Amino acid sequence: MRRQVAGKTFLGIFLLISLFCAQLFSQDDIPGKKSPSITMGEVPLTVVTRGKGGSVDLQFRIGAGFHVNSNTPTQEYLIPTALKLNAPTDIVVGRITYPAGEQMAFSFAPDEKLSVYSGAFTIGVIVRPLVSVLPGKYEFRGKLKYQACDKAACFPPKELPVQFEIKVVKNPPPHVKNPAQSPHVHS
Amino acid sequence: MKRDPIVIVVVAMVISLLLVFGVSRARHRPDVPDMTTSFKNQMAPDFSLPSLDGKTTVHLSDYRGKAVLLNFWATWCVPCKIEMPWFVELQKEYGAQGLQVVGVSMDDSSPEDVATFAKNMGVNYPIVVGKESVEDAYGGVQFLPATFYIGRDGKVTDKVFGLKGKHEIQDYIKKALAQNSAPATATPTAQIVLAPGKAAN
Repeated sequence: MRRQVAGKTFLGIFLLISLFCAQLFSQDDIPGKKSPSITMGEVPLTVVTRGKGGSVDLQFRIGAGFHVNSNTPTQEYLIPTALKLNAPTDIVVGRITYPAGEQMAFSFAPDEKLSVYSGAFTIGVIVRPLVSVLPGKYEFRGKLKYQACDKAACFPPKELPVQFEIKVVKNPPPHVKNPAQSPHVHS
Repeated sequence: MKRDPIVIVVVAMVISLLLVFGVSRARHRPDVPDMTTSFKNQMAPDFSLPSLDGKTTVHLSDYRGKAVLLNFWATWCVPCKIEMPWFVELQKEYGAQGLQVVGVSMDDSSPEDVATFAKNMGVNYPIVVGKESVEDAYGGVQFLPATFYIGRDGKVTDKVFGLKGKHEIQDYIKKALAQNSAPATATPTAQIVLAPGKAAN
């Protein structure tokens, strides 16, 4: 019985010490303590017919509590989120489609609407392999430039490496049609 | 010899806590300032930074005897932009009492662009072009705005990260102004290199 009481007392003291240490080491009162992060989702292999265009969707996710400027920020001096890609030879990078920014006002500027992305967003890329391109897999590399802020502080512009592959084919993949139903019932 | 399992558990817990504490202390080297360094009551690191027009060099020690609001900012930082008109007003209000606001631009864009921005914002205090060594001396300014309030004796009275309200900024200024100008290291008060508004103009 005594031992149980002593055990509980020790456990209580330990928990108190742990809480004290956690408090001591945490600096959550400092805004910007957590670094912003953008991650890119895995891109499924897109099949593109040579001589024709294909669209690749790149999905990004911004860490909770942060936002980045959209591709068309509301002010001249703000750094837009922008994707730059290096295409393999004879594959043309066409139009890059950015989502519209979310119009948001923040506690630091309640009267000022900012055009931002937060949470998840998708950028569409049109790729067009020339007819001379040999069928096969081709890798694209590039960078997503962004500048993130939280509710009270902003972080210097950063670049996220971007990488995805496409599969170039000679002819469009054949349409698989359901075979016509036999009028006879086979048993 | 039979050992009490409670004692063993407690000893293990204490060792774990000591390890956590030790690792945390080891990560934070006191000789290298970082974002967690207090700076409070420490002499603000001196610097020599060029003005936006590149014609003058501003030393922090030039302002000894004045209370300095040292603001690290950038044109791409919206919270910084919110603060700037307040700094303009506070410079007007407390300038006669000995306040000097100094902006340190952390932009990658050209000083000309920064100067245009500052002019459009009606900035009436000097702005200098920041560099990495100064950033490091102030704990590695990893995000903006970052503002250091420095007393007349050159010692940091407060450091503030992120946007604060105007009234809070005012309180920090009052505290810095109240700091006596009796520097332990008797550095003579140098003349101010830039008159207010010169950098922006």
